[in-house]
Amino acid sequence: MIRSEFRKITSIRSPWLLLAAGPLIVVAGVTGLIQSGGNVHDPAVQRQALAHAGLAALLTLIFGIVAVAGEYRHGSITDTYLSCPDRGRVITAKLAVYGLVGAAAGLVSSAVALAVTAVWWAAKGGSLQLSGTDTWLTLGGGLAACFAFSIIGVGLGALIRNLAGAVAVALAWIALIEGIVGQLAGSGLARWLPFYASEALDRTNIGGTTRLLPQWAGGLVLLGYAAVFAGAAVAITLRRDVT
Amino acid sequence: MELEVRELTKEFGPVTAVRDVSFTAPAGQVTGLLGPNGSGKTTTLRVALGLVRASSGAALIGGVPYQSLARPRRTVGAMLEATGFHPGRRARDHLRVLAAAAGVPGRRVDEVLGQVGLAEAAGRRVRGFSLGMRQRLGLAAALLGDPRVLLLDEPANGLDPAGIAWLRGLLREQAGQGRTVVVASHVLGEVAQTADHVVIISAGRLRFTGPLREIGGTSSALESAFLKLTGALA
Repeated sequence: MIRSEFRKITSIRSPWLLLAAGPLIVVAGVTGLIQSGGNVHDPAVQRQALAHAGLAALLTLIFGIVAVAGEYRHGSITDTYLSCPDRGRVITAKLAVYGLVGAAAGLVSSAVALAVTAVWWAAKGGSLQLSGTDTWLTLGGGLAACFAFSIIGVGLGALIRNLAGAVAVALAWIALIEGIVGQLAGSGLARWLPFYASEALDRTNIGGTTRLLPQWAGGLVLLGYAAVFAGAAVAITLRRDVT
Repeated sequence: MELEVRELTKEFGPVTAVRDVSFTAPAGQVTGLLGPNGSGKTTTLRVALGLVRASSGAALIGGVPYQSLARPRRTVGAMLEATGFHPGRRARDHLRVLAAAAGVPGRRVDEVLGQVGLAEAAGRRVRGFSLGMRQRLGLAAALLGDPRVLLLDEPANGLDPAGIAWLRGLLREQAGQGRTVVVASHVLGEVAQTADHVVIISAGRLRFTGPLREIGGTSSALESAFLKLTGALA
C-alpha cells in the first residue's frame, strides 16, 4: 500500500507544483521582511526571517487534503478500495506517506529559509547567529508544523470528501473562523486552537497575538489535533458506503 | 469460483435499492445482469465488491465476502462505471499504482495494456483519452490480477463497433477458460450475443434468473421477455 501511495504522488505533477510553491513563498517572505526595513542586527528579526519556514504548512495542509478528497474527486477511490478492502490500512498508508512527504517539504522549506536569510544577512552586513538553540528551534518548529498539517489534511479530506468543500473549509478556518472563535473564547482559550498552536510551534505569529502557548506546548497541541483528525478519518472511513 | 448473491437487501436511507435478491453466477459462463436504469444492478455489484455494506443478506465470491479474500485483485477483477482516473497520470502509471497495491508483478502492466489494445497509448496521460480508451484502461485494471471472477458494469459503454466485437470475444474467451464473468448492462442485443446465463432485476427485485435460452436466445425474444418482466409493458 505504501509503495502504491508513493507511486500515486510521483506519477503526477500537481503535488510537486503545489509543494514547490513553499520555497518560493519563503524566499519572497524573507525578502519582503528585509525590503520593508527589517534590521539584520536585531536577533528578533533573524528569528522572524527564519520562521517563514512554517508558511509551507499551509501547502502541506492542502497536499494532505488531496490525498483522500482528490481520490473522490477523480473517482479513483473505488479502485483503491478494490485493491485493498481494508480501508483502515489504506488511510494509514496515506497518513504515513503524506506525513513523510509533508515533513520532507518542511525540511526543504527550512533549508531554504536558512539559506535566504544567510544571503540577506551577508548582503546587508549583518552576522547570522547560528550557535543559539533558538535558530534551530524556529526551523524545527516550521518542519514540525508542515508534518502536522499534512496529517490534519489527510484527516480533513477523509472527513469532507468533497475536494472543493474540504479546501474551502480549511482556508475559511484559517483566514476567518479561528480568529472569530478565538475572540469569542478569549485569548486564554484561543491559544489552544489549532492555528494559534501552530503559530506557537513555527513562531510565524501572523496574527500578532501575544498570548501564545510556549513552543513545545503548541507543538504537542498541534500533534494532538493531528492524532484526532487521523483517528476520526480511519473511524469514519470504515463505516461509509462508497457509491 | 462463483458469485453468489443471497437474499440481498440494501437500503439507502428511505430508499430500498435492492430487496431480497438471490442468484448465482456460475463459473465458466457469462452472466448478464440486466435491468432498467436505477434497478439495483450497480448496487448489487458494489455490495459484492465490499464498497457498499448490505442492509441484510450477502454477496459471496467463492463462498466468502470480498473483504475476506486474501488477495482480492488476484481473485476478482472489477470495472465499475463511476471508477475514474487521475487525468494527469499516464496509463501505464495508473496500472503500476494498482499493481503495487494488489501485489501483482510489474510485468503484468504491459501484458494487460497489450491485451486491451492500449500498448501504444501506455505513455500518454489519461486526460487525452477518448471514452472508449478509458473503458479499455478500466478493463486492463480488471484483468491486471489475472482474476478468476470478472464483474463488469456496462463494459461496452463508449466502445465502437469493432471494440464491442473485441469485447465480446474477450468475455467469451475468459468464460471459456473457466472464469466467472458477470456483465451488468441494459444493452440487450449485446447480452443476447454474449451471455449464457441471465439475471433480470427491476426496481430492486429479482424478476428472472436462469439460462438465456429459457427466455429466448435471440435479441428480440430477450427484449420482449425483458420488457414484460420489468413491467415496462403493463
